[in-house]
Amino acid sequence: MPSVQTGLLLEHLFRRQAGRITAHLTRLLGPAQLDLAEEAVQEAMVRAMETWPYQGVPDNPIAWLFRVAHNAAIDAVRRGRVAAEKQAPLLAELVRASVRAPDDPGIEDQLRDDELRMIFMCCHPAIPHEARIALSLKTVGGFSVREIARAFLADDRAIAQRLVRAKRQILESRLSLAMPATCELPERLDSVMETIYFMFNEGYAAHEGQDLVRQDLCCEALRLARLLAASSVAAPKVHALTALIALNTARVPARTDEAGDLVLLEDQDRSRWDQKLIALGFHHFDLSISGDEVSQYHVQAALAATYARYDGLHAIDWNLILELFDQLASTGSPVVLLNRAVAVERVHGPERALEEIERLSEAPKIHRYYLYLAVRGHLLLKLERRAEAAACFRQALECPCSEPERRFLRRKLAEC
Amino acid sequence: MSQFMLLLYQNPAGMQNLSPEEMQKAIEKYMAWTKKPFTVDAKRLAPDPGRVLRSNNGKPRAADGPYSETKEILGGFYLIEAANYDEAVKLAMEHPHLEYGGTIEVRELYRM
Repeated sequence: MPSVQTGLLLEHLFRRQAGRITAHLTRLLGPAQLDLAEEAVQEAMVRAMETWPYQGVPDNPIAWLFRVAHNAAIDAVRRGRVAAEKQAPLLAELVRASVRAPDDPGIEDQLRDDELRMIFMCCHPAIPHEARIALSLKTVGGFSVREIARAFLADDRAIAQRLVRAKRQILESRLSLAMPATCELPERLDSVMETIYFMFNEGYAAHEGQDLVRQDLCCEALRLARLLAASSVAAPKVHALTALIALNTARVPARTDEAGDLVLLEDQDRSRWDQKLIALGFHHFDLSISGDEVSQYHVQAALAATYARYDGLHAIDWNLILELFDQLASTGSPVVLLNRAVAVERVHGPERALEEIERLSEAPKIHRYYLYLAVRGHLLLKLERRAEAAACFRQALECPCSEPERRFLRRKLAEC
Repeated sequence: MSQFMLLLYQNPAGMQNLSPEEMQKAIEKYMAWTKKPFTVDAKRLAPDPGRVLRSNNGKPRAADGPYSETKEILGGFYLIEAANYDEAVKLAMEHPHLEYGGTIEVRELYRM
């Protein structure tokens, strides 16, 4: 997301720099010293907090944080935080690097490269799925355990344990910050993209909570996707991923009205869409079209692009949307099938759509899933089967869902 | 206008648990206060225990200061202008230092 200067400092400056400096120090010290790198960064930021309010922000705050973190790492190594035989080589490495940084014009490229390597390590297939997102948010994104816990609606201890396990895995599997070899690259890239996609989805498809930190997940996912898209490993599908995140995130501010109620696409106030993100999304969408591969990300980006093109004057091309959903339907994901049913209704009518989702009624736990019940209720209502529709909405109201969703369901129930 | 010295004591553990994002927010709040027109000067003290000089039986001696890592330490000071104690206290009350677990001592400068 483009940086905005809201106050004295660039928005999220500390969070961003925490990730970059941690990546940089971890490259110098080795993945086994990830904790030490994180502590050095934390120490630099505490120092900033203690001094800047009195003496003012340094001319180059980024260089300042960088230098202080670097020195904190050197002190930690000297104090014997690492095994004696490793101390001398690590110190030599740190001191050598501090001579270069941070005035060296090449440092920006070096830092981007460090960050990229860090993402690949955090998303290594050897690390369990859930831990990959938490680890990426912590080390690359600069989120704290508490912030991650809030975003995942989990408790702090669960997240802390997940991180401990992930770090242990880094040691046990002897993961390194080396970029994957060519033969490994496709699998490793998929793993990174999947993590970024889940990070985005976690923030975008928030079912509970109104917390801003969940929007931050979308922004962080976008930042990582852009970093990947700007790197040497960028493939067309990386651009598709970036496009789908940017185009969907652009519409987030309009998804709810001032009262916090859900607003359907056709009723959204399009002046609240983020035009910069839409432009960014279309830019990556154009780049995603080269090549032969049509990934899931391509299809989702095409869907998001169709929505983002909606101008209020021309009807939404539901035929196109249905075609795109047909391409995704092979995944068998209930969420995809439910969204597809909405397009089927627009193209072929509610009866066909209802038949389509009947196929889902066998799926485990589906009757406890509010979206299934809401879509079913909506279709039954269209068919004037009011009693059955009302039963669906009542059942949906008993499922876990957010307050705006609940109000939406109550409004629908009142229509029955 | 009188001048007042604000002595800011901090609990070292209080800031350790903040996330980078929270620390940035804190810095912005602190700086917004510092930039107000009544601030004459602001200085941060170096994070060491300092030295205390005393004379013992006519022999001056220096010893390490009173601060240990667990105690609240004097972190810095502000010099501000205010009409009287009430106003100085009112201004200091809005300082974010209190929100972050710190203590502020307000002292008026002596007027000759």
